[in-house]
Amino acid sequence: MKSQQDLRSTRRAVLKRLGATGVALGALCWGLVVPGGAAAQGGAGMPLPDEKVADTLKRLFGDRPLQSAGERIKFEAPMIAENGAVVPLRIEVELPMTKDDYVKNVYIISDKNRRPMNAQFSFTPDSGKASVGTNIRLGSTTDVRAIAETSKGVIYEARREVKVTVGGCGG
Amino acid sequence: MSQVRIRIPEKIKPGEIVTVRALVSHPMEMMAFKGGKPVEKNYNFVHKVEATYNGRKVFEAATTQAVSQNPFVSFTVKADAPGVVKIVFHDTQGKTYEGQVEIKF
Repeated sequence: MKSQQDLRSTRRAVLKRLGATGVALGALCWGLVVPGGAAAQGGAGMPLPDEKVADTLKRLFGDRPLQSAGERIKFEAPMIAENGAVVPLRIEVELPMTKDDYVKNVYIISDKNRRPMNAQFSFTPDSGKASVGTNIRLGSTTDVRAIAETSKGVIYEARREVKVTVGGCGG
Repeated sequence: MSQVRIRIPEKIKPGEIVTVRALVSHPMEMMAFKGGKPVEKNYNFVHKVEATYNGRKVFEAATTQAVSQNPFVSFTVKADAPGVVKIVFHDTQGKTYEGQVEIKF
């Protein structure tokens, strides 16, 4: 009787130990996968293949608040993009471009892309106006943000939802 | 192949803000995945676009693979003097694609 109990307890203990090892192994795999992904990107400053949009915003702007742009940013994006491989976007920032205060950077960030940071455009007072147009790829239906950063560090954000019928990001 | 096509409006007045549109033929390789993991290789895509107007920098773009094949960019220049707008696309293989357009009144 006693020996049987012993056996049972050891069996339980063994199973527990096995379970713990399994969890540890799993954690190790995650630890290995993530740096591998970072290495795949090559260049410095390139984000991981999978990055949450909140992390992207934190990386780019730190803790500075994003203000809603309202009328300051004219952001043209299609409501429905049939082909995610070519989504035309047009951004015009209606802010003065003087030597002391101008729009320094405009970012295109799409929330659900594997890497949300899609493009960064830099301007100088010689640009006359912070206006840019380009075509981007979207993987799925997502919010796309146009974010303008002035030389004084103020950040404005405009957002549009683009519905994507066929994703354009391959795998 | 490695040619940049640029368009500007036909008539430009001095001091006007001119929209310049540029297009280059480039595959803009997308990241390949094998078994859920990204394949490690030097992907070929345009990562930098620079534009100067009479030698002064007017526009710069840092692009990623999220920009479509045959990348197109449009930007503005304040045309205060006759001169040349020069655009250079740099890709990750070290190749450059250059184009220029003359602004005259």
